[in-house]
Amino acid sequence: MATRMAVGITTMTAIIAMARKSPEGHLSPSGRGRRAKVRQVRGDYPVEGLDPPHPNPLPSGERWSGPAQGESAALYRLMTWLSPAYPVGAFSYSGGLEYAVEASDVHDPQSLQQWLVAVMAHGSGGSDAVLFVHAHRAIAAADDRALAAVAELAAAFVPSRERHLETTAQGRAFVEATRAAWPCDALDRLAAVWDGPVVYPVAVAAACAGHGIGLELALPAYLQAVAANLLSAGVRLIPLGQTDGQRVFAAIEPVIAETARRATATALDTIGSATFRADIAGMRHETQYTRLFRS
Amino acid sequence: MLMTADAFAANRAVGRIDLAVKQHAGLTRRAHVFEDGPLRVRVPGAPGREAEAVIVNTAGGIAGGDRLDITVTAGGGAALVVTSAAAEKVYRALGPPAEIGVTLNVGAGASLAWMPQETILFDAARLARGVDVELAADARLLLAEAIVFGRTAMGERVTEGCFTDRWRVRRAGRLIYAESIRLDGAIAARLAEPAIAGGRVAVATVLVVPGNDATVAAVRGCGQEYRGEVGVSSWNGIASVRLCAIDGAALRHDLALVLQTLRAAPLPRLWLN
Repeated sequence: MATRMAVGITTMTAIIAMARKSPEGHLSPSGRGRRAKVRQVRGDYPVEGLDPPHPNPLPSGERWSGPAQGESAALYRLMTWLSPAYPVGAFSYSGGLEYAVEASDVHDPQSLQQWLVAVMAHGSGGSDAVLFVHAHRAIAAADDRALAAVAELAAAFVPSRERHLETTAQGRAFVEATRAAWPCDALDRLAAVWDGPVVYPVAVAAACAGHGIGLELALPAYLQAVAANLLSAGVRLIPLGQTDGQRVFAAIEPVIAETARRATATALDTIGSATFRADIAGMRHETQYTRLFRS
Repeated sequence: MLMTADAFAANRAVGRIDLAVKQHAGLTRRAHVFEDGPLRVRVPGAPGREAEAVIVNTAGGIAGGDRLDITVTAGGGAALVVTSAAAEKVYRALGPPAEIGVTLNVGAGASLAWMPQETILFDAARLARGVDVELAADARLLLAEAIVFGRTAMGERVTEGCFTDRWRVRRAGRLIYAESIRLDGAIAARLAEPAIAGGRVAVATVLVVPGNDATVAAVRGCGQEYRGEVGVSSWNGIASVRLCAIDGAALRHDLALVLQTLRAAPLPRLWLN
C-alpha cells in the first residue's frame, strides 16, 4: 500500500509536467482560461511527443508560484480518488494476472513488464482509456446522449465474468463514495441518463469532468492508478522485491503516456483490444484453486 | 494515376446476401433470398426444424477494397444455422482494407447459429469486419468467428497487416455484448506477446445467448481434449468462449469440439471436409 502511494506521488509530479506539455485544450466546462496561463511554461523544456525517454526530465527549480490554485485542488482530488485508500477495493483485483502468474506466463520483472505493457497498451487499459476520454468529453459538453452511449458500451465491453465484476464493482463503489463525499452534478447526470452498471473508468471520468479536472491531468492519473494496482498485484504474486517492482513501473511510464495520447485520438466506435490470452487468463482464474484476488 | 485508381475500383468485388427464413408448421423455410456480386447462399436439404444455410464466395477470396454485406433474418420460431462452404482467405491489400458487414436479426422464439469456417489472413492483409446482432428478448444465438494469421503449415506467416473485428449484440434493444478486436501494424510482434497470443496464430471467439453456468460447465468438461487454450465464462445471462491455438488445424479441432458441445448437434457437413 505504502509503495503504491509513493508511486502515486512521484508519478503525479510527472503527470503535472505532461499536462503542461499537453497540446490538447482543457476540456472541462470550467477553467479553460486557467490552463492558458499554465501552458505558457511550455518553452522550459522539450515538448515533442508524450513519450519522453526515461528518465523523464522534469523542470528544475522551485516552482511554488507555478501551480494555479485550481490545479492544486485538482491534484488533491485526483490523488485522493485514485489512491489505494479510496474505498473501491482496487487491491482485491488482479485483472487475470493471478492466473498468469500461476501459469508461469508472468514470473520475473521482465515478464511482468511485458504483460503490463500489453494490457495497458492493447488490452483493458487501452480500452478503459478510450471510455474514459469519451465519458469525460460527454460530461464536459453536457451531452447526455453521448454520456448514455459511452456508459452503455462500457458496460457491455467486457470479456468475462470477473472482469465485469472488477470494473462494475469498483465503478459502483467509486460513485457511492464520491457522491457522498465529493458530490457533483456530473455523477447525478450519469445516474439520470444510465440505469445500468457504471464501469470504473466512466465513473472516474465523470467525477473528474464534473470537478473541472481536465482530461490531460485526469486520464494519465487514472491509467497510472490502474497500472499501479496491477503492478502491486504482480509484486505480491510473483513475488518481486519492491525495488524491482518500481523499476518495472518506471520503465512503463512512456507506455502509459502513449496510451493516454492515443485514446484522445480514438473514436468511441473504433475502441479495440487484442489481449486474447489475458482474457483467457481472466476466465481461467474463475477455477483457479488458490486465489488471493477476486479477478 | 486516375486510370489506375479507376481500374482498381472497378475490379473490387461488391457482394451482398440478404437471407430471411421463417417458421411454418414447425419447419424452417426460406422466406426471402437476395444475392449480388460474388456471394451466393444455398439452403440444401429438405426443410426440417432447423435449416442450414451455406454461404459461398465465388470469388474464391477477398482482396483489399472488397465490400461484402450479409444480412440474415430468422423470423419468429425459426431455427437456422449459417456456415460457409470454405475457409475465407483475405489476401494482401495494397490500398484500402476489405470490409465485411454482417447483420443478424433473430425474432421471438427463434434461434440462429452463425458459424462460418475460419477466416485466413495473408501477410499484409487488411480486413475490417463488423457484426451487428439484434435479438428478440427470448431469441437464441450462437455466434462464432475464427481467425488464422497465416497458414503456418504452408510456410505462410503474417508479419504485418490490419485486422479489426467489431461485434455489437443487442437484445430487446439493449446492448448486451460488445467487443472489438484490433490488431494493427506489426501483427507477428503483437501475437508474440504472452498477454496477446504468446506466439500462437489462431484465435476464435464464441458468444452464446442465453448462456449460463451450464454452458460454462459443458465447455470446461472437454478440458482434456483441447489442443490449444480455451477460456469460458458467463455473466449477465450470456456466455463467451475464447480460443487461442498454435495453428489453424488445432484451432479448428478445438472450435469444432466447442460448437458440437454447445449445440448438442453434429457440425454442418461442410465443417468436416
